[in-house]
Amino acid sequence: MTNTFGIIYSNPSNILIAVGIFFLLLIPLITISEFLFFEPFVVFSLYPETTLSFSLIVVLSFLSSLAVSMNIYRVKLIKETRKISSSIIGTIIGASAGACSCGPIAFSIITTFGTAGSIASSFLTIYEIPIRLTSIIILGIVIFVTTKSLSYECKMSQ
Amino acid sequence: MANTKTIAVCVVAVILVAAVTISFSSYLSEFDTARTLPAEHKFETIALGSETATVTIVEVGDYQCEMCKLWFEKTRPLIIENYVETGKANLIFIDMPFLGNDSQHAAAATYCADDQDKYWDYHVKLYQLQQHVDDGWANADRLSAIAFSLDLNMDIFDECMESKEHYSRVDFHKQKAKNDFGANSTPTFVIVNTSGDSKRIVGAHPYSTFEEIINSML
Repeated sequence: MTNTFGIIYSNPSNILIAVGIFFLLLIPLITISEFLFFEPFVVFSLYPETTLSFSLIVVLSFLSSLAVSMNIYRVKLIKETRKISSSIIGTIIGASAGACSCGPIAFSIITTFGTAGSIASSFLTIYEIPIRLTSIIILGIVIFVTTKSLSYECKMSQ
Repeated sequence: MANTKTIAVCVVAVILVAAVTISFSSYLSEFDTARTLPAEHKFETIALGSETATVTIVEVGDYQCEMCKLWFEKTRPLIIENYVETGKANLIFIDMPFLGNDSQHAAAATYCADDQDKYWDYHVKLYQLQQHVDDGWANADRLSAIAFSLDLNMDIFDECMESKEHYSRVDFHKQKAKNDFGANSTPTFVIVNTSGDSKRIVGAHPYSTFEEIINSML
């Protein structure tokens, strides 16, 4: 497994993709979840009550960056896209959780869809932690399966 | 087949990136609107603190908003202690009930409590007791129970809630919050001083943000 990671991330472009995906997810998610503020100036705020939520966002972003970058490498190698879909689905599920709360996204959803929007927003807020955990499990499985499959495919190609 | 899958994956990836980008950019673009407090504000609000205070902190909130509760618990007490009780600032709450049906009822209930001079007591109680959106914590019975716990005259309170006399006031606040303050999320704050300078704060910022802005406006 370590060897597979070594092979993938020995290429700086794969590291760059992973880092890019990490920040592309992390910054919007922590902004939407009100850990990072830009107005009236940049402020980062973390309370003990919200530490778990913040940690899950960091883990989710990290796993998404690994899963997607590994699968991009895999697609380049063997032109097979099944697992990249799973990693994107895992990312979407995780990103949708908690994004609603009382923010502008919830406001848009509720004003557009009325009661149905309110129920959906409320569901995503109440079950934020379980949804993010589910997403992390999905991404963990995707990374595990991709690593196994890559080590097999790399042996075959050698 | 492989091509179809590749296309499907690309489409999903593009949608994901677009959704994140649009959400993020729309979130940021809202910061540019309604930076200034309009000259005419005829809110029927109840200020907490001295009427002669140099700074007024306007909070736009929803009683079912969990970030408002977080701000209420973490930042508000420090503002009350350091600015409101010292006469430097006063605090006004503008209702923007949008998260669920009970939000509007809770907002109206605060004005029914105000009829008996217990607006801020009721306001505080609502945030202290807040649970999940529309899970029954702010239904009619619970709102009456809160009124009872504050020693309000229950006949007057119940009659006020049943007559819905303050619902139009809540709706008016909601429209004003949206149109005048450009609020599209809660909590949103507008801090204004007697010279007419104003600054907007979007979100449950920590105390340090308020401290810096209020001090610069005193």
